[in-house]
Amino acid sequence: MLIETFYRQIGSEIVTNKSFKFSMPVYKLHYFNNPRRGRAELSRLIFSQAGVQFEDVRFSHSEWPNIKPTTPFSQVPILEVDGQVLAQSNAIARYLARKYGLAGKDEWEQAQTDMYIENIHDLLNAAAVPFMEKDPAKQKELYQKFMTDTIASHVVAVEKQLKKNNTGYLVGKQLTAADLAYYAFFSDFIEVKFGGAFLKDAPLLKSLIDRVKALPNIKKWTEFRDSKYPEEN
Amino acid sequence: MPGYKLYYFNVRGRGELSRLILHYAGVPFDDFRFEGKDWPAFKSKMPFGQVPVLEVDGEKMLAQSHTIARYLARQHGLAGQNDWEQSQADMYVDCIYDLHGAMRTPTWETDPVKQKELFDKVNQDTIQPHLEKVEQHLVKNGGGHLVGQGLTWADIAYYAYFTTPIMTRLGGEVFSKAPQLKKLIETVGNNPNIKKYVETRPVTSG
Repeated sequence: MLIETFYRQIGSEIVTNKSFKFSMPVYKLHYFNNPRRGRAELSRLIFSQAGVQFEDVRFSHSEWPNIKPTTPFSQVPILEVDGQVLAQSNAIARYLARKYGLAGKDEWEQAQTDMYIENIHDLLNAAAVPFMEKDPAKQKELYQKFMTDTIASHVVAVEKQLKKNNTGYLVGKQLTAADLAYYAFFSDFIEVKFGGAFLKDAPLLKSLIDRVKALPNIKKWTEFRDSKYPEEN
Repeated sequence: MPGYKLYYFNVRGRGELSRLILHYAGVPFDDFRFEGKDWPAFKSKMPFGQVPVLEVDGEKMLAQSHTIARYLARQHGLAGQNDWEQSQADMYVDCIYDLHGAMRTPTWETDPVKQKELFDKVNQDTIQPHLEKVEQHLVKNGGGHLVGQGLTWADIAYYAYFTTPIMTRLGGEVFSKAPQLKKLIETVGNNPNIKKYVETRPVTSG
């Protein structure tokens, strides 16, 4: 574990399968070809930040009926690890975060990391309601309500926790999957859709999002992702 | 042993899983329950304005119902034997969380006829297909437990969420095509620690 952390700190470019004395598992992450707002993105960010190779399998909605029965619970994302299968986006993210040093330094920090990931899960579920609304006028109203009722109060609460923790990170003194989850949701979805005004009274959260965005491995991933899979809308 | 205080409404809801885990494991804790009218006084104390919250040793607070349950399961040997089993247990609990979510809309429906229709639809579209898959996996795993060869918090979670709200709303017929899962849930319910707690816990609406 110590060796992994050392290599990660001096640049993940040099972290390859050959650096490890034991063999790296073969990972295949399966999801729809939805570029950004998918529930697979947190796991992709974890892989990328940790410098771990994975096969990013994306399929179209027309292919889904054939794939569906092969999944454990008729849902994706799923993660194949040397042929064994894990379902549920958060279970996958949590497994990878713990394995690759992005889940805090002890059990309490792991729990805090989980907590933040589950906060984002709730926000994603809440956002799904307006997202699924077909009527554009009603959708606009629902998104407005979502921003003022749900997002605003959560941002206040998180800003308070960041201030209390006073390290620049959500959990402990280092980057965890919690920071990646907040970056993915707030930068990739909320900021893209609504702009950055919601962060005007949350300088610590804004700073965290900007710092994650600028991490070399994250930057490398998002640039690759954005050119290979252009945003749909 | 750390001092645990679990803050939640005086209902089963999203707090019950953690209570069941602690009772199963024989771990004492302050099962702090409050009525709806008292909530505003506590809300501002909670990290994200929500409950349940677990307070440890009077100083650290943890939010999110399944984070709390997972933490307690891991601390008290109920989370699986290795990383992979732990993730499989997580996966099952995340699934049951989705089912619980699907039950919410019908729960809020005030018209009894419409409500029954909505519950039947959730059963048809979401619960039965899920049970079909779980039954397959359970049989493949040897029929006894969801994960590995011993009880994990995943088994307790299925017990918790199926007894409330799924069976309270849909009845025992929900298991007509999932006899092994039905047996597993009964087994959890028959555990002496669980049984003692369930017989003596406050009687609440949900």
